Amino acid sequence: MVEFSLPKNSTVGKGRIFPAAPGAKNVKSFGIYRWNPDDGSNPVVDTYEIDLDKIGPMVLDALIHIKNDVDPTLTFRRSCREGICGSCAMNIDGENTLACLKPIKDVKAAVAIYPLPHMPVVKDLVPDLNGAYAQLRSIEPWMKSDTAPPPDSERRQSIEERAKLDGMWECILCFCCTTSCPSYWWNGDRYLGPATLLAAYRWIADSRDEHAGERLDALEDPLKLYACRTIMNCTQTCPKGLNPAKAIARIKELQLERKI
Amino acid sequence: MNATHMPRMDVMRSQLSRARGLGSAKTGVNHWWMERMSAVALVPLSGWFVLQVMRLAGSSQEDVVEWGGKPTNSSMLLALMVLTFYHMQLGLQVIIDDYVHGKPHLPASLLMKGVTFLIGLFAVIAVLKLALAPSRKASA
Repeated sequence: MVEFSLPKNSTVGKGRIFPAAPGAKNVKSFGIYRWNPDDGSNPVVDTYEIDLDKIGPMVLDALIHIKNDVDPTLTFRRSCREGICGSCAMNIDGENTLACLKPIKDVKAAVAIYPLPHMPVVKDLVPDLNGAYAQLRSIEPWMKSDTAPPPDSERRQSIEERAKLDGMWECILCFCCTTSCPSYWWNGDRYLGPATLLAAYRWIADSRDEHAGERLDALEDPLKLYACRTIMNCTQTCPKGLNPAKAIARIKELQLERKI
Repeated sequence: MNATHMPRMDVMRSQLSRARGLGSAKTGVNHWWMERMSAVALVPLSGWFVLQVMRLAGSSQEDVVEWGGKPTNSSMLLALMVLTFYHMQLGLQVIIDDYVHGKPHLPASLLMKGVTFLIGLFAVIAVLKLALAPSRKASA
């Protein structure tokens, strides 16, 4: 049955407080989820008081400052710091987003930072996304074409055909959308989730791909696809401004189109 | 945490195997489409029913029985009852899929379907009784 409360070993306690240096003028408080698999204790929220005059404008700047200068044990993923790698996806101020694209000044009160919701935590802000990656792999996100490509050039598309991929190729697979989806929280073992379904539609819509039918066959399932309840958290939260809910709606339209 | 994603030591099956699971059930379109179509059909039917009930408020029992005996009215009532309980069954199945997992899922679904069917049958028979009742006004 559905769980209405956290298991005992997941209840979040209060952690340590790291005060700002005396004399700091522009101080903001960051409450950050901490959990270490090695010490056997429950997760806590540590509070870091940070002098904003010393760091860059984004939440990721604060995290890097904390790791470098305050508390080197803080663990998180980051790479490109410009919203293209998807590594620093986390829950900031109650919304899944990329720490590198989230301005600190957009958060009015203390900045609450948690890992992406409802995934197993590896450590601190690092979630285990292996299940979601395997789901992406399961929809075979690569071109499948039986017609040989022209010997002397790439496969060609008209401008209109290429335009159909806009709003989908930009996905960086940060899984902010998938982990914001209540349907995915409830049925994540079978529901593919918005990121994977957007990727599936990206290939169904590609004029060079010749396996749309097989792709639709593989998605035609009460949970894999139809567990989407059009809650729209995915579109609301996407840090790249994409619309996974629309891609899912298009897949449902195509499923219907071939039946009637 | 959902079961698949928990790093359980007793499950060594690969993540890809778990993601693929038992494959696609090749069903779901009909459920999704009928849920929406029955919802659309219920908008005018429910509106009609509310208007009729408002119009009949305060009428005598004979008048209401006669109203229910007219083929137009009984057809509309039957359509309303059948679609209401059909839609209810489709919608409740979605709620059960969301909130009930593992072994209780099948018995919960069957119980819901059975209860919905019986209530729907009761409503249909009530409408049929009205529809097929001899007109009291005519015999009086």
